[in-house]
Amino acid sequence: MSRPSFMHGNQAAAEGAIAAGCRFYAGYPITPSSEIAEILSERLPQVGGVFVQMEDEIASMAAIIGASLGGMKAATATSGPGFSLMQENLGFAVASEIPCVVINVQRVGPSTGLPTKAAQGDVMQARWGTHGDHPIIALSPSSVQECYELAVRAFNLSEQFRTPVILLMDGVVSALREKVQVPAPEELTIINRAEPAVPPQEYKPYAFLRGGVSPLPAFGDGYRFHVTGLLHDEYGYPTEDPAVVSAWWEHMASKINDNLDKILDWDEIELEDAEAALVAYGGTARAAAHAVTLAREQGIKLGMLKVRTIWPFPEAAVRRVAARVRHIIVPELNYGQIRLEVERLSAGRAAVVGVNRADGLQITPEQILAAVRRHGEAAATHGEAAATHGEAAATQGEAAATQGEAAATAPEEAP
Amino acid sequence: MIGALPYATTWHMLMEVIARVAALRRRHPHAADRELPIILSSLPELPERELGGPPVSFIHGPPGRNIAFAIGLRAARPHTPLLLIMNADGITLGTNHLIHAVRRNIGMTLLLLRSEVTETTERQPLDRLRWGTPAYQQSIEPMATPLEWAKALQAAFVGRGSLLDPDGLAALIHEAIETPGFSIIGVTAGANLELGVLSRTAWPEYFTAYRQWAASFVKLASDEAQWHGDARATPPPAPTRPARFVPRYETLIAGVGGQGIKLAGTILSEAAGLDEGLWAAHRGEYGSATRGGPSRVDVVFGSEPITYPGADHPNLLVALSQAAVDRYARNVKPGAHVVADPEQVPSSRLPAGALPVPIVRLAREHVGRPIAAGVVALGCVAALSGVVSLESLRQSVMRHVPRRATAKNLAALEAGYAATRDVMRET
Repeated sequence: MSRPSFMHGNQAAAEGAIAAGCRFYAGYPITPSSEIAEILSERLPQVGGVFVQMEDEIASMAAIIGASLGGMKAATATSGPGFSLMQENLGFAVASEIPCVVINVQRVGPSTGLPTKAAQGDVMQARWGTHGDHPIIALSPSSVQECYELAVRAFNLSEQFRTPVILLMDGVVSALREKVQVPAPEELTIINRAEPAVPPQEYKPYAFLRGGVSPLPAFGDGYRFHVTGLLHDEYGYPTEDPAVVSAWWEHMASKINDNLDKILDWDEIELEDAEAALVAYGGTARAAAHAVTLAREQGIKLGMLKVRTIWPFPEAAVRRVAARVRHIIVPELNYGQIRLEVERLSAGRAAVVGVNRADGLQITPEQILAAVRRHGEAAATHGEAAATHGEAAATQGEAAATQGEAAATAPEEAP
Repeated sequence: MIGALPYATTWHMLMEVIARVAALRRRHPHAADRELPIILSSLPELPERELGGPPVSFIHGPPGRNIAFAIGLRAARPHTPLLLIMNADGITLGTNHLIHAVRRNIGMTLLLLRSEVTETTERQPLDRLRWGTPAYQQSIEPMATPLEWAKALQAAFVGRGSLLDPDGLAALIHEAIETPGFSIIGVTAGANLELGVLSRTAWPEYFTAYRQWAASFVKLASDEAQWHGDARATPPPAPTRPARFVPRYETLIAGVGGQGIKLAGTILSEAAGLDEGLWAAHRGEYGSATRGGPSRVDVVFGSEPITYPGADHPNLLVALSQAAVDRYARNVKPGAHVVADPEQVPSSRLPAGALPVPIVRLAREHVGRPIAAGVVALGCVAALSGVVSLESLRQSVMRHVPRRATAKNLAALEAGYAATRDVMRET
């Protein structure tokens, strides 16, 4: 039986990690993620796990890679400045296919930015932060319940596809306290590592399987192999043979691309008859959901696509929405990152505008609704022109951003 | 002194030494417990395939980071020796990791190649930069002395061995592995430096100590194997109230830091969410809770899941400062209740229809400190919301206030409730 509990997002992520089987955490506390470290420093020893406060985030990422290779499910948590430091070894985990979970509670950047204020500015860093082309999975929770559930899912996906998974939280959900239904252990699906079915001499730690991965035995448990960030053959030994490297890429791309049905996760809300749609994720999706309620009360046919798996991006779902509605509004606590993805996928079918801010305040339902109205009126005035002319949409996007800022300075918006 | 050997030669000689270490471990009286080492290095590949040997467990990581990799590995593999093979570049990039691994005495054995040159920068040929000409940098750089650093940090074991004496070096590595905690060995190709054990300390290996300490927690947690939520709070009883429709209700309590407003948000949201069995959200704000600075808490509840957790248009505003009235009174919903503390807000500035309740004074009277103002404000919520009962708030206060202060805080809650009822009767 699940039971109701009251938690903030950071606590839910920490509890979700433990429920998923995380038994090692290495990190350096940083707002607005610090409670994750604080809670796990208390909780991990209770369940036989290990918590280490590291010297920095470079070492934190390295230590969870080591622990994961040693057979423990492992995680770290950080915010922007620490996430930047983790990129080197995050790439190592991608290249050497080591499962691990990185929780990034986004705050306003760049650099140390606004240390305690919520933002969503690391969306593209989550995708492309480490150098080189690479597959990655990132999940974005919009409620405390989802912080718990997506923490569990992050571990499951990382084990299933031998990849680092980023739980891309934001300062909105991390500090939000609300009621959650904590699932009972028997209600949770937990994916654990498979043991190799072959004897050590036949084991390929990096078999180039299409759409799948080799089992990963704990390092030192009789299966000896070579782990490197250099591109490698199926036994893990470095190679520069173009044919082998191409096969490696095929494997790496297909393990994500052939499993989109298992990885992608989104909600469609009131989209059946919608004339306009919001595409929202993370803490901003809460204001967006409320904007849908308000819009419907006022007779505006507004729907929403709420994205939980943010990388890989649910491209087909966005294309379907773009084919159905006249315009799409993308509220984000940044100056337009996912909006670019939505524009690309919309390909001119629906006009795409953003509601953007990165000043430490949160986007309100009214700001979203105002953008919907403005754009709806503009679309009605220009008829089809607005929907087909990318230029018009871009201009309106900027206008919306400007008006959003004007609203931000009004005293009633300041907390 | 023999000059620095080419890397490939050093590497092959070292592999021979490691083979002798493995032989020593196999001959150990408790050989069954002596696992073969996992090797970590920034040097790319063991020549095992050329040598026709069996594969070893090998991590080729970025220079210096191997020390941090090893920390995680050690946590997961308490008994597997971790042998780190490093060069000057590893020490350069990994000094930070080295310091903290030694400081904690985390079990690993670090072999520092070319000890004769990494420890004496003035003799280090920067030959990758300019063949055959003196390098300018080395003439001003002081020596790097990692073995001295490790000694100063009280590494469990510090030693130096020579590739010219493979059996001696193997014995030294074996001894280092058998010593719990962090060990470091300078590996030289010469014999001009002091060889053998340079320093030894005895203190608990980090993860051994950690596990002993953690055992007390495990005992604690076994009482409630499926522990969830806040350990400090007694879980509330499962509510047995019948389902009822409660429209979205936004509560905004605003004042200044030091009035206990954050705690009030916690108490109210849990009373609504757990004791009343509704959905509830409590929006926390970071960085604004300094004493005397503006502070606010948004609590939204209702029988439907809460979408937006902000009280932008409150059904109930409790204002504990002039600024709170100025900022938020105009945003309340039509027909909303506004409570304002008349001793914090001049009467001329009180919004029309506001209920004057001397919240801060009641807090001082009942608890002795203005920090209880938030709890008094919850009495106002109990009197006005029509949703969250005084009894639910009492239960939640008892879960969140230290036991010695419970009686006083309950009195403060009830005083806020009674005062609000009195004002309602008067108006």
